[in-house]
This record gives sequence, structure tokens and C-alpha cells, in this order.
Amino acid sequence: MSAISYHAVSFAYPDAPQQALDDVTLGVEAGELLLVVGASGSGKSTLLRGANGLVPHASGGRFSGEVVVFGRSTVTHHPRELADVVGFVAQDPEAQFVVDHVERDLAFVLENLGFSAAAMRRRVEETLDALGIAHLRDRDPATLSGGERQRCAIAGALAASPSALVLDEPTSQLDPQGADDVLAALTRLNADLGTTVVLAEHRLDRAAPLADRVVVVDGATVGEPGLPGTILASYAGAPSVTRLGELLGWAPPPLTVRDARAWVARVPVDLPFPEPSGTAARPAPGEVLARASNVRVDLGGRAVVRDTSLTVHAGDVIALLGRNGAGKTTLLRALAGLQPVAKGTVDAGTGVAYVPQNPNTLLFSPTVRRELEETLRLLGRSDPDAVDHWLDALGITALADRYPRSLSGGERQRVAVGAVAVGGAPVLLLDEPTRGMDAPSRTALEHAMRAHAEGGGAVVLATHDVELAARSATRAVVLGDGEVVAAGPAREVLAGSLFAPQVLRVLPPYLTVEEVATTMARR
Amino acid sequence: MTSSVQEVRSPEIDDGRSTADVPVTPDERLVGRWHAGVWLVWALAAAACVELAPSPVYVALVIGIAGLAVSLHARPGPYAKAFPILVGVGVFFAVARTALTALTTHGIGHTMFTVPQFTLPRLLGGFTVGGAIELHVVLQSLVEGFAIVGVMAAFGAFNSVVSHSELIQSTPRAFYEVGLVVVVALAFVPSTLNAIADVRESDRARTGGRVVRRGRLLRQVLPVLELGLERAVTLAESMDARGFARAGAGSRDHAAGWCGVVSLLSLGGAFIALVGDRRGVAAVLGLAGAVGLLSAVLLTSSGTARVRYRPRRMTAFDWTMAAIVSAAPIALAVCSLGGDGSLVWFAERTLQWPALHVGPALSLLPLLAPIVLPRGTAS
Repeated sequence: MSAISYHAVSFAYPDAPQQALDDVTLGVEAGELLLVVGASGSGKSTLLRGANGLVPHASGGRFSGEVVVFGRSTVTHHPRELADVVGFVAQDPEAQFVVDHVERDLAFVLENLGFSAAAMRRRVEETLDALGIAHLRDRDPATLSGGERQRCAIAGALAASPSALVLDEPTSQLDPQGADDVLAALTRLNADLGTTVVLAEHRLDRAAPLADRVVVVDGATVGEPGLPGTILASYAGAPSVTRLGELLGWAPPPLTVRDARAWVARVPVDLPFPEPSGTAARPAPGEVLARASNVRVDLGGRAVVRDTSLTVHAGDVIALLGRNGAGKTTLLRALAGLQPVAKGTVDAGTGVAYVPQNPNTLLFSPTVRRELEETLRLLGRSDPDAVDHWLDALGITALADRYPRSLSGGERQRVAVGAVAVGGAPVLLLDEPTRGMDAPSRTALEHAMRAHAEGGGAVVLATHDVELAARSATRAVVLGDGEVVAAGPAREVLAGSLFAPQVLRVLPPYLTVEEVATTMARR
Repeated sequence: MTSSVQEVRSPEIDDGRSTADVPVTPDERLVGRWHAGVWLVWALAAAACVELAPSPVYVALVIGIAGLAVSLHARPGPYAKAFPILVGVGVFFAVARTALTALTTHGIGHTMFTVPQFTLPRLLGGFTVGGAIELHVVLQSLVEGFAIVGVMAAFGAFNSVVSHSELIQSTPRAFYEVGLVVVVALAFVPSTLNAIADVRESDRARTGGRVVRRGRLLRQVLPVLELGLERAVTLAESMDARGFARAGAGSRDHAAGWCGVVSLLSLGGAFIALVGDRRGVAAVLGLAGAVGLLSAVLLTSSGTARVRYRPRRMTAFDWTMAAIVSAAPIALAVCSLGGDGSLVWFAERTLQWPALHVGPALSLLPLLAPIVLPRGTAS
């Protein structure tokens, strides 16, 4: 018997013209880790919310078919009546805590389920250990880092030891370290406790190797689940090594660098030294558009950025890399003039524009087009061509009449970039632009960034994503503890790094799948 | 409802039986801290002291004690900011109140300076605003406003030192949901403040640092409201998914609901009777209302046996400390009955510095007890 089974489920949100789920039939086996992939807005969240009855009980809307969870139908059972069999974790780690104390928040579900005092006590201790958060038990969730908070939220869902955990993009708001911690905790739960895990994810580099099966959600329909390598080979957001394997005809395509290296050892790949391609081939730098010289920024009495210099030339796409707290965002904000500098100078040239990390803080207009026009109106100009140019460059022309806040995360982020970029500043500063983004949005944004740089502008992006840096950046700057620890052409900086992009670790000196493809096409 | 819940319970839930003989100890890690109830009594006592001795010297002493409590015992997290925020709110009200009083009250004392004056239309009361600003009016109003700051400081300190989760754990069952709602609502304050800061910065970033005032309110309020709404929806789903309100309302809860309705109607009737000067009827209805209210609380509290996780009860030490703290307002009341003239300061015709007497000052000492005596050494 399947742990969770969907029988011919169709669903539409209230007032929505089209179906969010269209005749979905799917069985989740007990004890498996099922990875759900698909573009934002494809119906992933709806599918997951259906597993514990949040759809349709919390959402409203038109629901037909049946979801049976360990023998209970979600049609007749509310989410609260399924709390002992299904735990649910949402994307935003901040908004899931009821009590301002980690340990007591874990006990919340146990109190609701009517556990005895002694059983609660034991269960809370076990749950703290299962997720490795015993040292955080006395903390207020608001004082934790994103990864710690999300692990505590998972513990809050897990405390009742449900047979299944359903997680809707639990790592999309986290930095790579936090995401690794969360995924490692999930693997442990799945392997040690036999908990069935249903996981929606965009970060497939890490998540794909952990999955037993993968299922693709596309346009409200759900494909046939299958082995990760097989299913992901033809999926746009697949890990770089998987796409490389598909390109080189390795079957089944590898999911990890280790597997890919094993393939290379068995089937040697004979490729010449790569021709410089794309933006990486750009010759001498253009004119200087913005410059920060020997900048120091103090926050809360601590130097967050020290003696850092950065010169932005026309045609540059500069990737700022470094762990959380290394000073990436602060340097961007200093360049944008939003953060006063304690020492040094910032010359913004003919203009820089900063796109904040969270697009939700920016968007308020009734339509996407009006959102872009609003910026021009604030600047006292009217420039319909600029609006059309950016709608087109970011691939959001089709969304021009939609309400920005009803869009998916990746689409919202692109609208935010458009709303800032339309002001015409030659230098665009993007703070973690691809966090939580699905593959189509990421590709569209990368195209827009490169086009902007090739058209005489420049882009500086703070990111954790080395794959993004490998595909798009001309130069890379690695920050550590507020100082520049490495800077130079992207290829050189990334090649010397422990955290090099996947393709470089398999087929050096190639950086990206696209480079390999170009070289192969030339032969 | 109840029966379906019984059905869906998995057998695992009863596995508590195997460990039922293990004694459930109170939270030992919290023994070093006074119970939230002690701090509640402390805050009420401090506020009562301000009411009994509103002279600025004594109010300053209470504010100082509250500040000491925050600096020694504030908990990490967003609530630590409660003290400066609430004191700030108190100062704002005190200043606004002083300005309004100074602009509208005249003919008492020495004129400091004169501002333009105008008379409001009759619809708005028809009184005169502005004119002579008098020293005595300003001083008296400032001193009264300072007492407001004192009360706010006491409750600000309470909020920054107390564990709110411990506080709801100790409320009677009938107030559990209400307490939870308050705690959840309070948790939105810091996140909303963060959202406001982020939205303001985004607004500046959008125009490359240029500040455009026109329409700024709309541009900033909408995203803040939407962020709050999205957060509220997620929280509601998280609570639902974690079984909140799973037990549903029992028969006693329904009975308590009816008692509440009856008591509301009776109290309303009593009020109408009072207005109509029917004191006898009002007394009967008022009594009925009070009884209804009490029985509603008792019924709900006894209704669902919600087993609480590691509940912390007030021990003899906590009760002793609460009693010590309560001594402060009692001692001040004794001073007041004894006719101590320094407790209240008035802006008299010949202005005098507020006096500090030994009796009332010593009366405030018990407020220091929970701050300087850690619970560990007391027990």
C-alpha cells in the first residue's frame, strides 16, 4: 500500500480560471524519499499541500478526486487530524514558529495531540537529537540563523513522529551551508527512522543524489516517477554533471561529481583545450563605470568590509563570492550609496542601481508593467521603450498584465530586477538574484545580465552559486571576513577554488556544460 | 467531532504509559530565573508605586530600577527591545500631552512666551488654542507625563525579562488561547519593524538613492501589509498542520460559551439599569453577570485537560519573592496614609524642588529584590 496516494485529483484555487492540479494520480511508497521537481507555479506546492489536506481545507477552491494518507482521506480529515501521520514544513523558516522558545515549540504538536507529560518529555529529547539541535533548545527562534531555524521547524513537524514528512522547498531561503544541514538531517531521518519524505526542491546538485525517486510536475500535471538519473537527464534544472553526462552519452547520467569522474576514468573524453567563449572571451576592459577604493564599512562596531577595492568596467559581469557574513551584501550596499563608508571612497559614476535580496519589499503595483513604469515616474521621466526593452530582456512580457505578487518567486525576482534596471543606471547590483529561483527564471535572468553587460553596462552580483558565476561572470571576487581573498578573471579564480563548479571538477579546464557543447559542435 | 478524533489517533500516542512512572521534573534550567508570575507581580507593584508616588524623584527611582532589571536580566531576542520601545512610546505621549495642555490651559502661572493663537470653530468645541505658554502648566504636565513614562518603563522591563512562553504556560486554561493569540501577535511586531526597514531601503534603491516623497506612504505600506499577511497565512497553516484545535470544543466549552453570552447580556442590562437609575435591578443583573463570567472561566478551565509540556509552577520561593515585591506599594500606601507630603509634587505658585524622603525611598527597595537576588541563591 502506498503511504500517500493521489487518485485522480483535480484542483483549482478560488477565482482561478485554470486548474492547479489536473487529474493527478501518484503513489508515494512508504519509506522512500521522493523528490518533486518542476518550474515555479507548475503546481508543486499545491501537490504537496494536498498531502495533509491544507489543500483544499485551508485554501478553499474546487477539489475533486481523493488523497489517502495512511488510510485516511484528506476529504474527511482536516490537516489537524492528520498531524500525527504527516508533518508539513513550508518554505519560509521564519513564519512557522508558534512559541518563542525552540523546545516548547517542539512540544506544541505534542500538547495538541494529547500526549502524556512523560511521553512529551521523552519525545522532545529524541527529536532534538534526531535533528542535532539540542544545543539550540533554549533559544528564541528569532535569534537563529536560517538553516538552524529551518531545522527547528522540521523538528516541530517531526516531534509527533509522523510516518511522513512533506517539505515545500525547505532550503530555498537558505545559504548553501544551511541548505546542506537541512538536507543532511532529512537524509538521516529517512535512513534511520524510515520516515517517508516528500521534498520539493530547486537545488538539485545536493538533493538529487539523496532521492530514491523523482517526479516532475509540469503545467498542473504530474509525470511518472522514476530513478533520479533517468528523470533528470531531460530536465532543464538538472545538476551540471547530469546534463554533462546526457551530452556525452553516459547512461544513466551521473548525479554527483564522484560518479561523473568514474565515467571519465572508464570512458576517456578527448576534447581539445576550450576556446574562450561567450562573455569570458571579452578582451580589454571598457571604461570605468564605478569604483570603490579602500572601503571600510563598520556595522555595530565591527568592520564588516575592510580595505576593499573594486573597479567596475563596462562589459563586466562580476560575481562576488564568499560565505554568509563575508561582506558581500554590505559591499554592494556601499557601492549603491545605501551604506555609509567609514573610510575610503565610493564613486558611483553615472549611476548604480541596487536590487534587494527580497523582491517582496519592492513590489506594490497592480500590474508588472505599471511596476516598471512607477520607477520612471518617480524619476520624473516617461520611457515606454525602456519598459518594453526590460520586459523583453527579462522574459516577462507575457506577464506584463499580471499582479506582481501573484507570480512565482523567480518571476517576482525578475520583475524586481526590471523595476530597478528600467531607471537606466549602467551598473546593476544584484544581491543573491537566483536564490530560490527555478531553472527557466534563472536562465532568463542570466541572458538579461549578459545582454546588459554586452550593451555597455555592467553587473555586479553577490551569489553563493558557483555554477551561476561559471556561466555568467567575466570576473570573480572572493570575499572572506570582509577582505578580498581572490580576484581576477572568473575562470582563474574558480579553477583555483575548492568549491569549483561541477564541470571543472570533472573535465578541467572546462567550466560549463555549454562550453563542452560548443567545443563538441565545432569538431 | 470528538469521536472522529478518537478514531484517527495512532496507537503510538499512548506509548506514554510505558514511561508514565518516570517523574516529570520541572525545568531545572529555569531554576536560576524567577517565575514569570513573579515578574508580573513585580511589574504591577512597580506601576502601583508610580501611581502612589508620582513625584518625579520617586518615578525616576522606579525607572532606574526597571532599567537595572533590563540590563541584568533581559532575554536575548526581539523582546529585549520592548523596554526602549515602550519607554519611547511613553515619552512621546508625555510630550504630546504637555504640548496640548500648554496650548489650551491658561491663567495659572508665569508666562514663559507667547505663540500665535486662534479659536477653533464651534463644531470642534470653540475653545482657544495657543497664546501664552505658562511655566506652571508645562511643569505640571511634564511631571504627570513622567509618571506615564514610569508605568511604561515597568511594563517594558517586564516584557524584556519575562519568557512569554512561560507566561502562557502558567495562565489558567480558559485564557490559553487568548494568551497564545497575544504572544503570536506580539511576535509580529519585530518582524514588521524589520519589514518596514527593508521596504524603506528598497524604495530608496529603486530610484538609485533619490528620495521621492510623493506617494511614498502607499509604496511602503502595501508591501509591509502584504508581507505580514503572507506570514500570517503561513503561520496559520503551520498551526493547523501541527494539530492546533484538534480536540475541538467539548460540551463544557459550549456551556462556558453560553455562560459568557448570559453574563455579557446581564452586564449590559445592569449598565442600562444604572443609567435608568434602577439600582436594585442593576445590582442583581451585575451579580448575575459576574457569576456567569466566573463560571465560564471555571468551566473552560476544567473542561479539556490539556497536558502541558514541562509546566513550571510557582514554588514557595517564587511566592515569597512575590510577597516581598508586593511590600513596596503597601509601604508606600502606608506613607501616603501617614500624610507624607513628598509623594506628590505640585507646580505651586512658588516653585520648589521635589523632596526626597527616606521613608518612601526605602519603600521602593523591595522592587530591587528579584533583580539583585538570583533565584538560585534564594533556594
